[in-house]
Amino acid sequence: MVSWPQWLSLVALVPLVGAVTTPAVSRGRSRVAALWALGVMTVTSFAALMLILRVAREGPFSYPFGGWKSPIGIEFRFDEFSASIGIVCLVGWLAVLYSQRYVEHALEEPRIPYYYTLLLLNFTGMIGFAVTGDLFNLFVFMEILSLSSYALVAISGERTAEMAGFKYLIMGAISSLMVLFSIGLLYASTGSLNMADISSRIGDGAVGPIPLAMALAGLTVGFMVKAALFPLHIWLPDAHAIAPSPVSAILSGLVVKTGLIGILRVYQIYYGAKVLDLSSLNTMLVWLGAISIVMGAFFAIFQEDIKMMLAYSTISNIGYIVMGFGLASPYSVIGGSVHIFNHALIKATLFLAAGCLIHKTGYRTLYDLRGVGKAMPLTTAALSVGAISIVGIPPTAGFLCKWYIALGAFEAGQPFFGVALIFGALFIFVYYIRMVNSFYFRQPVHPEFLEVGEAPASMLAPVLILASLCLVMGILGRIPLSFIEPAAHRLLAPLGG
Amino acid sequence: MKKALVIVLLIVAAVPLVAAVAGLPPHGSPSNPTYTHVSAYYLEHGAEEAGAENIVTDMILNYRGFDTNGEVTVIFTSLAAVFGVLLLTGAVARKPAAPEIPVSMVVRFIARLLAPFIAIFAVYVILNGHISPGGGFQGGTVLGALYITVSIVLGRDEARRLLPRGPKPWLQAAGPLTFVGVGLLGLVLTGYYLGFPTTPALAWLRTAMIVVIEIGIGVGGAAVLASVYETMEAD
Repeated sequence: MVSWPQWLSLVALVPLVGAVTTPAVSRGRSRVAALWALGVMTVTSFAALMLILRVAREGPFSYPFGGWKSPIGIEFRFDEFSASIGIVCLVGWLAVLYSQRYVEHALEEPRIPYYYTLLLLNFTGMIGFAVTGDLFNLFVFMEILSLSSYALVAISGERTAEMAGFKYLIMGAISSLMVLFSIGLLYASTGSLNMADISSRIGDGAVGPIPLAMALAGLTVGFMVKAALFPLHIWLPDAHAIAPSPVSAILSGLVVKTGLIGILRVYQIYYGAKVLDLSSLNTMLVWLGAISIVMGAFFAIFQEDIKMMLAYSTISNIGYIVMGFGLASPYSVIGGSVHIFNHALIKATLFLAAGCLIHKTGYRTLYDLRGVGKAMPLTTAALSVGAISIVGIPPTAGFLCKWYIALGAFEAGQPFFGVALIFGALFIFVYYIRMVNSFYFRQPVHPEFLEVGEAPASMLAPVLILASLCLVMGILGRIPLSFIEPAAHRLLAPLGG
Repeated sequence: MKKALVIVLLIVAAVPLVAAVAGLPPHGSPSNPTYTHVSAYYLEHGAEEAGAENIVTDMILNYRGFDTNGEVTVIFTSLAAVFGVLLLTGAVARKPAAPEIPVSMVVRFIARLLAPFIAIFAVYVILNGHISPGGGFQGGTVLGALYITVSIVLGRDEARRLLPRGPKPWLQAAGPLTFVGVGLLGLVLTGYYLGFPTTPALAWLRTAMIVVIEIGIGVGGAAVLASVYETMEAD
């Protein structure tokens, strides 16, 4: 059952069909739409589980669409990095469950079926992006993902949301254009769109270096915008803070990671081809990563709005991951890749918990939410678990990957960045302490919300599940590390490491 | 000052782009990899093994059909985005609709006269896509434009009858859904999603599958275009 080849096509097709049929099936009834989306995500998650079990057992495998062998047709290629669809399904499933009660209040009734349609399309885009082996197909899924993300940011229909969505759209459109132009350059140089085929064809040296370098630059910058790496992060804080909370969890936990998967795919093409020396690009990425860590943390300290704070914290964490990739040592790449997974867990915990607070109390600044720990003890406890995880205090999920990235910095002979990483973690510690302090140890400004009680079970359960996973992944942290290890070694093998 | 800065910035950005394009293999040279690698295969085998005489149709619906499957989903996504963001909610729906703009009798007459011909041309473009240039995307656009014309010239209510409420959400999803339907048929027949039977005995089926996809894209595209227009016009 695990090795049934169709799981790989179904994992993208099930959410796709589920999404396009949501309006027709639900006919405006938001309850039906929610249940439909939940059912679709359940099937998708099962397919993803089968794929992950298979890749752990037998390594990467492909699925040729239409039976055409690559490079004639399009193929899906599932490797260890593609296993990030596991976290997409997990967080996606919980976010859909959480949305049911949340959007009843946050959105007007007629929009709700389209909210679920867009959510499912968003998951389709992320899953397809992570599993495809074809460069143009990657772009198609990226467009499904981006378009649905812009709309989800703006879906509340309020003025600020529309502005944030529009800003996101402009930045996103520029990045898509750069990616498309680069794909065009690679196609014109090689005549192929299959990533593995492109890698081997540019490796034989028949193509001039300038188009290849330009394509590398365009793809990297394009994906950096999607990942919100400093200085291309300016769209992120507004978009992630203003979107409905379950959408924030998805955007911050999952969608920005798509840019990082994209960067990994670029590395897979170029490292294997050995035509360009990537060390200067790597140096740049390491520096940008370090600056992102510090700047993200620095801006987060001054935020009063809890979701704004979490949004800036995402920029720091993207910085960690990019730094891990740029250091290009086995430890750092493993740490960075696993942090894609762990940060998604942690940030989803934080945003969904913050969503519960906002949903029940109606307030969203640290000042207004003072003393909320007494009113909603479980949610606040989950938020605190998320906070200590994101700082990276053992034994939580955030610790091991940051430890690995720091080890990688020493391994790569650049201990300065290891120090920068620890310094950044201290910064992050400061503002999360500020948050925890305000929730637990300050007198409430609005004592009336002491009566509100916890959020409904369908919202509280996802938060608690995610928070406990943050702890569990801290203890079982070796499993994802050893799972991704072969992929990291395969990626770095052409460097002779 | 600001203008000059923008111009300088654009030039700086353009230099590497132009350099990259200049460094590509020369256009028209027989050794250009875009002619010798996969496209050579398509040209050589497309007509007999892919089911359509038009090689471009073979490419977009058969060899790289899954991309087109994604593209029609992108079109659907844009529809969902428009509905999600602009959908008529209580307050807007209660607002009295803007008065219809009076249209001259000549325009009304010409629109009524041409409408059936436009519709027939659209159907022709859709159905002929596997033989000559055209296909679902182009024909669907013509149909969508016809809807917009009817809505402007003959009034909203007249146009709304063309897109009845019952099947509307299914028609809007027609593109992706027919793709998936044909794709799953291919899965049953060949073992791969979007696989087309390759035996000569089933050549008719291969062509039929392509035509069905074209119709789905055409109907879906037209429904999306019409719905987007309707929503934006009402907003």
